[in-house]
Amino acid sequence: MAGVIPSYLDPTPWIPAARGASPADVRRALDSSQPGEADLAALLSTCAADCLEEMAGRARALTRRHFGQTLSLYIPLYLSDYCSGGCVYCGFAADRKQARHRLKPEEMIAELDAIKAMGFDEILLLTGERTSPEDLDYLNRAVQFAAQRFAAVTIEAFPMRAEEYRGLVQSGAMGVTVYQETYEPIQYEAMHRWGLKRDYANRIETPARALEGGMRTVGLGALLGLSDPLFDVISLFRHALYLRRRFWQSGVSISFPRVCSQEGGYHPPFPVNDRTLAQIIFAFRICMPDVPLVLSTREAPAFRDGMAGLGVNKMSIASRTTVGGYLTPVKSPDGQFHVNDDRDVATFCALLKGKGLEPVFKNWDKVYR
Amino acid sequence: MTIILNGTLYELGDPAMIGHLLTSLDIVPERVAVMVNDRIVPKEERNSTVLNEGDRVEVLIFMGGG
Amino acid sequence: MNVVQKLILGGREFESRLIMGTGKFASTEIMIDAIQASGTQLVTVALRRFNRERPSDDLLSPLVKLGITLIPNTSGARTAAEAVRAAMLGRELSGSSFVKVEIHPNPHHLMPDPIETYEASRELAKAGFVVLPYMSADPVLARRLEDAGCAAVMPLGSAIGTGNGLSTADMIKLIIADSGIPVIVDAGLRSPSEAASAMEMGCSAVLVNSAIAAAGHPADMAAAFATAVKAGLAARRAGIMSRSECAVATSPLTSFLTGA
Repeated sequence: MAGVIPSYLDPTPWIPAARGASPADVRRALDSSQPGEADLAALLSTCAADCLEEMAGRARALTRRHFGQTLSLYIPLYLSDYCSGGCVYCGFAADRKQARHRLKPEEMIAELDAIKAMGFDEILLLTGERTSPEDLDYLNRAVQFAAQRFAAVTIEAFPMRAEEYRGLVQSGAMGVTVYQETYEPIQYEAMHRWGLKRDYANRIETPARALEGGMRTVGLGALLGLSDPLFDVISLFRHALYLRRRFWQSGVSISFPRVCSQEGGYHPPFPVNDRTLAQIIFAFRICMPDVPLVLSTREAPAFRDGMAGLGVNKMSIASRTTVGGYLTPVKSPDGQFHVNDDRDVATFCALLKGKGLEPVFKNWDKVYR
Repeated sequence: MTIILNGTLYELGDPAMIGHLLTSLDIVPERVAVMVNDRIVPKEERNSTVLNEGDRVEVLIFMGGG
Repeated sequence: MNVVQKLILGGREFESRLIMGTGKFASTEIMIDAIQASGTQLVTVALRRFNRERPSDDLLSPLVKLGITLIPNTSGARTAAEAVRAAMLGRELSGSSFVKVEIHPNPHHLMPDPIETYEASRELAKAGFVVLPYMSADPVLARRLEDAGCAAVMPLGSAIGTGNGLSTADMIKLIIADSGIPVIVDAGLRSPSEAASAMEMGCSAVLVNSAIAAAGHPADMAAAFATAVKAGLAARRAGIMSRSECAVATSPLTSFLTGA
């Protein structure tokens, strides 16, 4: 039986406004000094799509004001692609037939050292859904190794209890990324064919549990394309508001992963094109000016270059989405998703500098911990 | 018997309950709060609380304040 | 928040968003006239030793007659322990469990002590008081006080009696953005337009004392403040248009986007 979206997230009251916004509504939203859900809805409308250039200008001004003329860089490391899950859209789903790998401790260390040599100081460690009780010990170990090398260690893994997150904090983790994938409960159930991830309510509460466990930041996101983007983006906004109010000492960041049709892969029912994704990001920046907005290497170079500084203030670069892959970089089959931007760090940094953006590898020091 | 009332010496016949003190001051009991030796004495205990020699008594009212 | 909330304190809804202080008035009669002209439902009072020579100083009965809810303050306390005792006395005297925690050890600038205020507020909230702490406009302290169980927070607009208006406006806006309880600006408001501004900003109420008591005609000033507070609240409910900010790019920022 499908879950039910909690009332503090439900975007339904604002969807008519998003569908039926007039130019006056859009203007009011752009002029609002304290934008809320109604303003976000107006800025997501087809009417607002005619004001994209103005929205871009606002997004850029607000990003500059809150984050300066910088772009933060991080890198993901897939520790393992073993996964018990059945997500329809994912390259690692349990019924996909490729060989699975898990980094052994010495391999982990070698990969971490290789990544450190690339200049990064923030790393995102990823695994799939929980397959065995040892998975948590494995993850703690990985965090400890990473924390010895990187100023900021974040995790994107299976949902856990608050005490388990607390353990990871003690191991040195600072944040957790967990995407709801889609906030629409019926589609959520359809997308998650079996296993623990089917539990919609449990997934939605995961960021709160991570913060309860002492994580400093959570990364939220919806996989755009699975459901009506209006539904997911407004829910995402409300989720961020809820967590910021409840955990006022913690940070929230927002990612905008987009499911793209892949050869032999999943075809999303609500594909989001570049203009729409840009509009979503601009609208989010305008309505929530002070949270980091993140793009990954899922997106193509031209889009990333254009969006850098226009709302987006954080990106990964030189990523591998196969397990490991940094020690001996080779062209290999796609991992969790196809990497569209495969430029190296130096090239990307030069591009950013050319745009007047300073690449930033470190925002934290652990001195007082 | 001498007590210290609002910081100054005050003569009271003994035995004296707080109620007697308030009467001698011509105070309407509902208008004041009373402390004896740093303890608040609720209204309902005033007629059963005996004052002793040297007790520090504070009788307080509301005045204007921001 | 975009939604304009009701003012609910101690489980009761209050229509009037103007709270008055009762200090510094030339006489009790003038104070009573001003209170009536203001339409206020909540006033603060202070505790003082009964003075046999001046029995009419007592405010309790005139205010009770007006049907006004009293908020005893802890003015004079310099520590949390003293403030807690003052609150207990105030509750004993008024029968109301409202208390304004006001601890200002420096008698010149009268700025509130954040540490003693936090400790007193936490203890009093646990003891069932409806705690309204007077504080510097510190957004983090505001959340700490909310977490400790306060019914509202009362950040100062500027130092008591200075009439320097909403000098802490930026901080108050941060407090309002994060707060789950009413934010009531207290201290420093000099004119009704400042009270209207505070309401437009998102405050749930304002507390005014000096500006009314020291006015040429306190009752008329109280009425003016009441009008201003109503106007500010109505404006917020109506949805205020604001200055827009837009960076105008010299070349289009979105030309990199394709149609598909």
